[in-house]
Amino acid sequence: MTATVIDGKAFAAKVRGQVAEHVARLKEEHGITPGLAVVLVGEDPASQVYVRSKGKMTVECGMNSYEHKLPIDVSQEELYALLAKLNADPAVHGILCQFPVPAHLSETDIVAQIDPAKDVDGLHVINAGLLASGQKTLVSCTPLGCLMLLRDHLGSLSGKSAVIVGRSNLVGKPVAQLLLQDSCTVTIAHSRTKDLADVVRGADIVVAAVGRPEMVTGDWIKPGATVIDVGINRIDAPEKGLKEDGSVKTRLVGDCDYASCAEVAGAITPVPGGVGPMTIACLLANTVTACCRANGLAEPEGLTV
Amino acid sequence: MRAAIIDGKSIAADMRAEVAKDAGVLADAGWAPKLVSISIGDTAAAELYVRNQQKQANSAGVEFEARNYPAETSLEQMTGILQGLNADPRVNGIIIQRPLPDHIPVKALQKMVHPLKDVEGMHPASIGNIVYNDLALGPCTAVAAVEILKTLPMDMEGLNVTVIGHSEIVGKPIAFLMMGLGATVTVCHHMTRSVAMHSRAADAVFVAVGKPGLVTGDMLKPGAALIDIGINRIETPEGGKTVGDADFDSCAEVAGWITPVPGGVGPVTVATLMKNAVLATRMQMEQYRDAYARTDI
Repeated sequence: MTATVIDGKAFAAKVRGQVAEHVARLKEEHGITPGLAVVLVGEDPASQVYVRSKGKMTVECGMNSYEHKLPIDVSQEELYALLAKLNADPAVHGILCQFPVPAHLSETDIVAQIDPAKDVDGLHVINAGLLASGQKTLVSCTPLGCLMLLRDHLGSLSGKSAVIVGRSNLVGKPVAQLLLQDSCTVTIAHSRTKDLADVVRGADIVVAAVGRPEMVTGDWIKPGATVIDVGINRIDAPEKGLKEDGSVKTRLVGDCDYASCAEVAGAITPVPGGVGPMTIACLLANTVTACCRANGLAEPEGLTV
Repeated sequence: MRAAIIDGKSIAADMRAEVAKDAGVLADAGWAPKLVSISIGDTAAAELYVRNQQKQANSAGVEFEARNYPAETSLEQMTGILQGLNADPRVNGIIIQRPLPDHIPVKALQKMVHPLKDVEGMHPASIGNIVYNDLALGPCTAVAAVEILKTLPMDMEGLNVTVIGHSEIVGKPIAFLMMGLGATVTVCHHMTRSVAMHSRAADAVFVAVGKPGLVTGDMLKPGAALIDIGINRIETPEGGKTVGDADFDSCAEVAGWITPVPGGVGPVTVATLMKNAVLATRMQMEQYRDAYARTDI
């Protein structure tokens, strides 16, 4: 094993510490407390865990957390009315709707209802367009987390060759934009790419975001490259034995085969504990940035882009 | 010389004929497409472009009104003018000619144009739609370059594409349009260590940098398509001349297809503007009909 392990948990804690400092300063100097509203539709257990943990960290950073739980059969009109109310509420600086939502609702349409200035998930089409045209925007949290980890580990990214595997709106495309802004030479590879392994082998920076367990193996990696693994996949782990109900125990893995990649890479993010913890930290950072903009105050430097 | 020269003028003529047909249908429905061009201050700088757009509009059945405003027009006044044009159902597309006076930031004006009238494809919503692979009105030059590539007998899925130049209005939108078509795209720029390494691996190369002679034949894979978006004015012993970013002679020896400058991407860009005018008009018509078809309000 040669690769340095990039500790996303520790770095995320540092970012949350910075967020808390800015929040304290906003309160002291301006009497403003940033507020984040989270909307959860239905009772999906995983979503409940996420929402609870977002709420907890929001409060820990000194911000106000507003949780809105709606029944699984909530009508589109009711949900949109709530979003309109949150858009108009000056105490709310960030709004996010926890996905997935039930099938009778459309995620794209929900995002379109949120004021782009409060869209701390950075998913609104206007925010995607602002990012692509190099203007001030809110950048979606996971891509922002990837960028922060890369900058922290490598310093300047300028001139490095980056390959992003996966072209999703949520991760692949915004990561490409961010790395281009930092003057990387960027290739976006995906399921239609020919000779994927060869393409990845040319990269100083590999960002894997396809959602296929352990797809990228060590022989795809250029020696010394930095590997950012965005994938979170649950696979069977028979070596851990059986659960109480008799089913096989499971474990979380990324899109990279950690053991073989770590043999070759210069640095790699583990799963869990790599990019994952950065996502909530960046959500909190975005909320502070949105709050500063809404109040006409200078944005904290280096906290978001 | 082995490359086939791509005739942008003829592609543009085909597009205009198509646009004229669509414009006729819209006119019959009471929605004759109309563009308004806005120049502020130094109108001479863009005059050639405006006149050319006017001519192309006429031949595509699109009404074209060129407006000139004095250099001292304030941002507030321009805001009012654009709001008026946004609200005017007889106006279907708004073009902001550049350059603008220093006190008028171009991005601020582009954001004020209603996304349904954004025929230049510069509004953040238009760019965002491209990123999300939901193309309605795209930036004309980028769309034109991609349309030209699509006329060639190549399968876009899995195609290796290198884009040289990462400008917000050309390079980046081309990258997203090509990605949407299933290509594997690499974006190079002035910080890229070896552009040749990437361009030589590509089945299609787009170049949009503004540097004459940047791409030479030895940077291309034999048989590749080269789409040259650069427009540079250079002095030669024989006088002034317009050239692209590619060294045409050496590239034409190696490439399979090449766009000339002038006569390549340029004419298709103006034709794309006219196509956008028709698309915008149709979207406005549909929006209007949807709004008035509702009886529950």
